Amino acid sequence: MDCKKTERSLLLSLDGRLSPDESAWLQSHLGRCPSCRRKDEEYRTIIRLVRPQTVPEPLPFFKDRFLARLRESQQSAPSFVWVKWAHRAVAISLAAFLLFGAGILLFQPQEPRELSRTERFLLQDENPLGEAASILDQKKAEDRNMMLIFASAGDSEVSRRYRP
Amino acid sequence: MDEKELIQRSQAGDGGAFGILVERYKGKVFSLAYGFTRDRVAADDLAQEVFIKAYYSLPKFKGMSGFGTWLYRIAVNHAKDFLRKNRHRLREVSIQDVGEPALTAPNASPEENRVEEGRRTVIREALARLPEKYRVILTLRDIDGLSYEDIRGILKLTPGTVDSRLHRARRKLREKLAGRLGRQGGEYGL
Repeated sequence: MDCKKTERSLLLSLDGRLSPDESAWLQSHLGRCPSCRRKDEEYRTIIRLVRPQTVPEPLPFFKDRFLARLRESQQSAPSFVWVKWAHRAVAISLAAFLLFGAGILLFQPQEPRELSRTERFLLQDENPLGEAASILDQKKAEDRNMMLIFASAGDSEVSRRYRP
Repeated sequence: MDEKELIQRSQAGDGGAFGILVERYKGKVFSLAYGFTRDRVAADDLAQEVFIKAYYSLPKFKGMSGFGTWLYRIAVNHAKDFLRKNRHRLREVSIQDVGEPALTAPNASPEENRVEEGRRTVIREALARLPEKYRVILTLRDIDGLSYEDIRGILKLTPGTVDSRLHRARRKLREKLAGRLGRQGGEYGL
């Protein structure tokens, strides 16, 4: 006999939620099973005793006391509303400040980085051989010398004087 | 004046219209509060607070559920907060309630009344020690006698969950009582 299944039927029967067939099955089981019968009695007693025999009335003048309390809360309401809005304003300002800070950190413009010699050569087409070739193409030695002097004028480290 | 009109006028700030709703629902809200507190003064205070809270929440009431269900939902949530804050005080009150004349059977002998009241106190204490969700559903169903449908609406649960939670709550209450009565020597044997 499945007493666990019976307990479920028993709990449903407390609220009258069993079909006539289920109810008949339960009654027949309870007639044969003293353990389930005791359980049934216990549940019914608990439900009977848990409910108060009488529920008292609310204290006198319930509505009048409520309306007085409502008026009182309405009088103090403006300050309450002000405080509520102040809290919201603080929260919104804080959120805006944090968003602004995060925006600055994420989108700040990067300092232009100095390119290496290879990068300059590849990206900016600063081919030193190209410059040298144009100097060497000059037919007159004076022109070549003058061009070399001007080319090395801005470069203090390198001496590129042409020696014919 | 019908309920819908009273609600609309209350939403527009008419305290008098809301007063009529209070008059209509005070018994039910008080009864629910009494089911949780078992103390007349505390239940009265709780019911007053529920109506104040409901008045200020009226702009949010869209009529998706009945006004009574919505009000009961506020009452249950407020009662839960109240119980959490006053756990120790209410336990003392419920123990002092033993033998309250209004709760005894009129034709029973003093000895029978004493035993009956002792049983009630034992059950009340066991109920107070149940987890909150079981205590709430037992209060709504077995103390306040609400229908399954009302409980579903108030607690926003599916029918299956109401069933299983109620069954589990009753089972746990019975288990708690078995242990307690055993320790006390079964004076209030059920």
